[in-house]
Amino acid sequence: MIGVNNGWVIASSLLVTLLFHAAPLPLEWRWFRPELVMLTLFYWSLALPHKVGIVSAAVTGLMVDVLNGSAVGALAMGMVVADVFILLNYQRIRQFDGLQQSITLAVLVALALLVEHWLMRAVGLGGTGLTFLWSVPLTLLCWLPLREILRGLRRQFEVL
Amino acid sequence: MSLFWFRDSEYLRGARTVALDTSAAAYSLASSPLRAVEATDDYLQSRQSLREENARLRQENLVLKGRTQRLAAVLAENTRYKALLNSTAMLEGDVMVAEVIATAADPARHILVLDKGESQGVREGQPLLGADGLMGQIVQLGESTSRALLVTDAIHAVPVQVLRNGVRGIAEGTGDIDRLIVRHVATTTDIVVGDTLVTSGLGGRFPPGYPVAEVTAITAEPGAAFLTVTSRPMAQLDRGRHVMLVVDKPTIAASADR
Repeated sequence: MIGVNNGWVIASSLLVTLLFHAAPLPLEWRWFRPELVMLTLFYWSLALPHKVGIVSAAVTGLMVDVLNGSAVGALAMGMVVADVFILLNYQRIRQFDGLQQSITLAVLVALALLVEHWLMRAVGLGGTGLTFLWSVPLTLLCWLPLREILRGLRRQFEVL
Repeated sequence: MSLFWFRDSEYLRGARTVALDTSAAAYSLASSPLRAVEATDDYLQSRQSLREENARLRQENLVLKGRTQRLAAVLAENTRYKALLNSTAMLEGDVMVAEVIATAADPARHILVLDKGESQGVREGQPLLGADGLMGQIVQLGESTSRALLVTDAIHAVPVQVLRNGVRGIAEGTGDIDRLIVRHVATTTDIVVGDTLVTSGLGGRFPPGYPVAEVTAITAEPGAAFLTVTSRPMAQLDRGRHVMLVVDKPTIAASADR
């Protein structure tokens, strides 16, 4: 891991998805915004577990939290929890076919959102009900295209 | 998570300001394509429609000017009466216009990102007005940007009174963009559908007299001690590019509590 390994590709892919996260949407549609930032982080964590781990997950989560203006650290915590699952099981998840992988990733995203929701509720923020999970189906559909794009990037720039 | 416990600490103030400004820049960058489209659209309007709009605005302006004249007279009269009654005069607040950069991405919250911040004289708790009524208040300050919490956010509440008879209550946000509820209104209270709720000025955060919402439904559960009063915000919270910030001059209840 010494020398050129193009870590900037990881950082910039995360920054681009953060911009997508900040893109304007009508109020009611915001519930359905796919969690691209999380998927991107999970992809890198799957592909390069020695490089992208819970620290990256926490930092990325913090950035989303700051963007959201929510209780700082809630989503970061959620992403760390989900990322631990990936780090423990990345070899298995890599072997899954497309559908299995999509479902696994969607469940992990839901887990991260659930942890965030718990923490937010614990400090008295956030809504009631399970509306916060509405973004999960779209997130599931986004996984395969996003994986192809990121895999292309990883091979193009030889990110190790 | 430990960051959460320090979120109000003075040491992190600088970091928070920077984070807020950076995120506002991100929002602004993310919405720039949309703005470009809007700007082109604006530029390519037909001459005909511009003339029509111009005529309409002139008329509206005239009507509004007429109303302001009357308002000035009434205000003067009011001040005289207040003086006679020996109570403090209520001064009118001035306003500053801010542009909405974005709505924050978290769908569970109703937060606007504005393009005015500490350096332009914005302060925390400053009331936010739309063309038709109260929209919310400033909750976080950056150097040149700020965030405002809308009245409909689930953690927002504003002291109100019924315009018609002065019955007081507290209008709470629900998380729905078109619904506020007033809790703990006794079943015998004189409040009907269509009543206008205005800020009461109690609590000292909002100046009195700004329209907040219109009562849309009142349900009385048999046996319940209180009515459930539902209302719709006057201000159009989910549209419009510009909002007004009330720059206060002393009001009756100013700085009563924070």
